[in-house]
Amino acid sequence: MLTTTLALRAWGAHLPESDKAACRPEAAAGLLGRKGLLNRDDATRLALCAVHRTLGLDAGERPRGDAHADVAVVACGNLGNVDTVADLARVATTDGVRAVSPLAAPNASSNVIASVIAIWFRFAGPNLMICSGATASYDALAAAALLLRAGRARRVVVVGAEAATGTATALYGRPLTSGAACVIVESDPDGVQVRLNGRVAAPAATASWGDCYGAQGLVGVALAADRVSAGRFPVEVSCGDEVDGYRSLTVHPASAVTR
Amino acid sequence: MPVIAASTQLTCFGDGSRTWDALTQGRCGARPFDPTTAARLNVGAGYPIAGGSDPGRAAGWLVTVLRAAVAQAGVDAHRERVVVVVGTGLRQLADVEHWALTATPCPVDKLHFGSAVRAALPGVRDIVTLANACSAGGHALAMAQDLVDAGEADVAVAAAADTTTLSMQAMIGRVADRPTERVRPFDRDRTGVLLGDGAAAVVVAPAGRAGPRLARLLATGLSCDAVHETAPDVGGMTRAMRDALHRADREARDVRVVVAHGTGTALNDPAECRAIHEVILADRGDPWVTALKGAIGHTSGAAALCGVDVALRGLRVGAVPPVVGLGVPLAEADGVRLVRDRPVAVPGSLTQVNSFGFGGVNAVTLLEPAC
Repeated sequence: MLTTTLALRAWGAHLPESDKAACRPEAAAGLLGRKGLLNRDDATRLALCAVHRTLGLDAGERPRGDAHADVAVVACGNLGNVDTVADLARVATTDGVRAVSPLAAPNASSNVIASVIAIWFRFAGPNLMICSGATASYDALAAAALLLRAGRARRVVVVGAEAATGTATALYGRPLTSGAACVIVESDPDGVQVRLNGRVAAPAATASWGDCYGAQGLVGVALAADRVSAGRFPVEVSCGDEVDGYRSLTVHPASAVTR
Repeated sequence: MPVIAASTQLTCFGDGSRTWDALTQGRCGARPFDPTTAARLNVGAGYPIAGGSDPGRAAGWLVTVLRAAVAQAGVDAHRERVVVVVGTGLRQLADVEHWALTATPCPVDKLHFGSAVRAALPGVRDIVTLANACSAGGHALAMAQDLVDAGEADVAVAAAADTTTLSMQAMIGRVADRPTERVRPFDRDRTGVLLGDGAAAVVVAPAGRAGPRLARLLATGLSCDAVHETAPDVGGMTRAMRDALHRADREARDVRVVVAHGTGTALNDPAECRAIHEVILADRGDPWVTALKGAIGHTSGAAALCGVDVALRGLRVGAVPPVVGLGVPLAEADGVRLVRDRPVAVPGSLTQVNSFGFGGVNAVTLLEPAC
């Protein structure tokens, strides 16, 4: 979609397969607290962890008070709820609906990640879930830019997550890496920035952390932002695949002019 | 302010014109399930599009409505910068279920609608699949308008497609006392929602673009309840309504027609009535209120754009179809002017389309005659 530049206010990746500091989905209660985690699918847990860490909250800490109507959420990912959907279909077919758990209901809807983030962290602005395949991360940042430009939000919490569950991995047909990332963006062009460059013919570089599919671009941006703030050189990131095409993003350090 | 250059839909009754006819005649498109299926699911019926059991069927319907709407608007995707935003509640998850039950291959890139749209509309710049539950189409329309307003697209198409999934039927059946036979929006004795197949496409263009104009697209207001994942919240609904009015620079009292979300569930219908009271009636408004799901079922992510298509046809002929399936209104509808039994004549005027989705995601659209 649109090409634009966004200011990164905070960012964080949550990669349990390669980072010892990142808890696995089944251990998320240690970071997030136990309440409200029952029946959460793995992708939602990973997304919650990424946002929790990006917001700099203490273990078990939960935001309280009025929800922020000027903070939007844009989530991205594709396979987060396929386990729930496949399981519900099998159980309903073999044993009938009395055998399914009503607590699975939220996970049957593909926007569960976006809405749980809104409820958990009290963000009541526009709430979008982008499921556009391998370019979902790019599309999520573009949607965030559009929300800001249209005056629909002052700040957007962009979060991506995929979990390498049995069903997700079998469907994906390629090695899938569990991971999530959160990037909080605003429109004022200062501090570390991400530029959305649009379509490119090929990916920028191989990702060292694996393949997080719909969250891949956002993980890339979060890790690049770490490097950029340490080294002050721009870093190019990409996401996509042969079917969905490739998109390019550049993470820039704070420029001398705006600092 | 942009215009809507074209619109169509596809439901259990057929295209937009057939759907309009069925609504004005008060017909219900529910088809009962066979007794074994009904007992196993605890769901009595669905609102299917005939012949739709193949893999990729939602994508097929999407292509049908997209081609029709784009042709109607005279869009040339090679010359104009065209972006398509696809709203969907259940994506192609029916194919994931089919894969889980029968091991039929389910290519992961077919879960979203990128390749279907690219094939249907060569030259299209960008396609985004937005999985925003039962208000996905309304959210897609908001994004489409934002893209046109920002000058990022010459034409933006908000499209939507959904097909029934077994997993969502199971959730409906799991919480139902007994199998629902038909959807009865705003009825005192409503028993719950049923799913319908549906697709719709709405072409959004700047007011200055040459070509047809069906209505002015004033605004779509958005909000998230941030309260509960499955139960609606009056506060979230009213925020979306007020956001739409604020963006459109219109007063609540001027809303003459509301195409309600009206799901026929225990929770939505009273909450929606309260929201209409709080925002419109409290401002001395007195709109006619209708709802489509008794006729076409809940078409999930397509529901909002199905509502927009009906609103546009209503603006053109100056009529509002009745709430199919409504007998005795629920107590909370007291003071709300529901359209009963037959269409009412309403000269083309400010029309509001509500959509409220799982996860508390709300989108409210305001339309006006194109003058």
